[in-house]
Amino acid sequence: MTVKVKYFDHVITEQLRAEEAFLAEYRKAGYSFAKPYVKLNPYLIAPLTAIIIFQTAQPTTVAITVKGKEAAGDIKFQFAAATEHMIPVYGLYADYSNQVELVLANGEKSVVTIQTEPAPEKVKLPTKMTTTPEYFGDNMMFVGPTSPALAAAYDYRGDCRWYGTLNHAFDIKRAKNGRLLLGTQRLLMPPYHTTGIYEMGMIGKIYKEFRLPGGYHHDQFEMEDGNLLILTQDPPRGTVEDMLVLVDRKTGAILKTWDYQQVLPQNVGGSGSQDSHDWFHNNAVWYDKKTDSLTLSGRHQDAIINIDYDSGKLNWIIGDPGNWPQELVDKYFFKPVGKGDFDWQYEQHACLVCPDGDIMCFDNGHWRSKFKEKYVPAKDNFSRGVRYRIDTEKMEIEQVWQYGKERGAEFFSTYICNVEYYDEGHYMVHSGGIGTFKGETCNKPPVQFRGDDEKHVVFNSITVELKDDAVVYEMHLPANYYRAEKLKLYCAEDTLTLGRGEMLGSLGVTEEFLTIPPTEDGGMVPEKYNVKFGIEEDRILFKATFEKGQMVLLQLEGATTHSYFVPTTKRPFLAMCVGTFQESDERAVEFPVGKEGLAGEFKLSVIVDDYKYETGVTVKI
Amino acid sequence: MAVTIKEISGAEIDGLIATGKVLVDFYSKTCGPCKMLGFVLKDIAKGIDGLEIALLDYDANKETVEKFGVTGYPTLIFFNDGQEVERMKGLQQKPVILRMIGA
Repeated sequence: MTVKVKYFDHVITEQLRAEEAFLAEYRKAGYSFAKPYVKLNPYLIAPLTAIIIFQTAQPTTVAITVKGKEAAGDIKFQFAAATEHMIPVYGLYADYSNQVELVLANGEKSVVTIQTEPAPEKVKLPTKMTTTPEYFGDNMMFVGPTSPALAAAYDYRGDCRWYGTLNHAFDIKRAKNGRLLLGTQRLLMPPYHTTGIYEMGMIGKIYKEFRLPGGYHHDQFEMEDGNLLILTQDPPRGTVEDMLVLVDRKTGAILKTWDYQQVLPQNVGGSGSQDSHDWFHNNAVWYDKKTDSLTLSGRHQDAIINIDYDSGKLNWIIGDPGNWPQELVDKYFFKPVGKGDFDWQYEQHACLVCPDGDIMCFDNGHWRSKFKEKYVPAKDNFSRGVRYRIDTEKMEIEQVWQYGKERGAEFFSTYICNVEYYDEGHYMVHSGGIGTFKGETCNKPPVQFRGDDEKHVVFNSITVELKDDAVVYEMHLPANYYRAEKLKLYCAEDTLTLGRGEMLGSLGVTEEFLTIPPTEDGGMVPEKYNVKFGIEEDRILFKATFEKGQMVLLQLEGATTHSYFVPTTKRPFLAMCVGTFQESDERAVEFPVGKEGLAGEFKLSVIVDDYKYETGVTVKI
Repeated sequence: MAVTIKEISGAEIDGLIATGKVLVDFYSKTCGPCKMLGFVLKDIAKGIDGLEIALLDYDANKETVEKFGVTGYPTLIFFNDGQEVERMKGLQQKPVILRMIGA
């Protein structure tokens, strides 16, 4: 048999080629304001964007109106005076003849028609949308999927006005330079840890990839100086989601590391989803300048912890003290006070620090107890957004606001979700992980159902905004979405810059296995293993199909030999926060080897149990 | 300088670990990392002495597994005179295990 090999350019390289091509096309013909050059989806991954290019003899401003299906749906923006105009177009509708109006400073007008393709089935449409254009304006609700769907943005009517075609995971945030910070689609290790973070313009152009040796998961936070806090881990030590790094925005270099194993014991205070591999499950980071501290959410200890930014020393823990050692309870935990309702948060997400120091989070409430015998089943449970007031002198805590408990199981998400603080009394609560299995509220993340069971899962996501406790926005989507983020499509700082994007940071040297088992020569690798290689600019991807429990090593043999242990035993992931990377065949294995530290020509071979097989594939690095 | 690796049953473990240094590998026949760890232990066994290395089948000795609080395989537990000194979960590389047993 012939082993399949496919060479993949990085999306940054593909986008550079696309950019050069559309610029060449523009330069070939005489385009003008009356008849401008138009390119739909210029950077290949955002099909509801376009670029309009033309010149004017004199510098002039350009006002753009992307016409809505009704007047309230118009999206307007004004660009600064120039003679060379590269106008990004955002907010097109799919499968629609879009009208885009351009007006120069002198009142001259041009209308461009842009016909778009239908959106794929993975762009989900709301099943319910309640708000008003007066409240929501030209904002869009961005959501990133954790079940089969695509990242998308919806207007006040529930119309999709932006979507991305890459499998972006986790949070979408806007940086101070107007660009989006979001997870890459490049899987580093199952179930959802990817290579790092993209910095991407709304038009879909990727300006930077920040790569990390331990990969990225869940959350990122932009510091005042632009440097990035990114959640990561050190995979060779056998645990995940228990490290944080500060990354230099210009170089991608890691400037500082926080290791929670130095802060917390790993075998105490476990939630119902804890195991030794994913003992903390850090799903959010927030830097607070006033206290120069980091607030971190650890789902698998039902704990929001606060550590000193400089020393990394533990300051406090918000959580039910059950199953924690008394000396830690006495030193770090809060005592509930106040006359109002109070509930601890369980398996929470998306902690944030309000301007007055209050702490908000999405309290998933999964299990809702520290003790197995008291676990609350999903059908009787609730999820909510909650705001706590803490007194770090007296170590007292008071619940000052919540939304969601009253909605019961219909608003219950075992996993993911977020809250946003906009202003006093003005919040978003996103319950994005709702699901039923055969009509019953799911007791585990709905994306964990596999095989035939998947057919009986119904996904839901409910995003609510409240002003003074009145619901002013509610959107239901038929999929699961990690977080929701309200953003405008146009942003003055998000200017289009031509040229190649940058791959920053490093994936590090892939850990080699030092012990090589004795083998017999097996000849060419059998077809049943379905071995394939993907050669990326910075990685070799090994894909194959093995039965559970087979022992597999990948070998690169050249002037030097490099061996890599390939896991085939699927770990029962207790927190499948993103299911979009899961293969339909549970035997499927994907293992990346970073090219860093390798040079020369290598023959690729595979050891499976007692045999060593040739693949017939040679790569030059 | 070498030691022999022996397969033990749950009934034998208490007697074995009571004195001296013993490294017990809780393994499963259905687990790739366990197979690989078996080769790592064989490699280690060639170059050490003063230590017993024992393999205990996780699936066939559930009572013992529970008694020792083992929650997954492979799990290595290093005992000295009956006392647990350290345990490691998952596949480990040779230098890590050598450090664990103080070799």
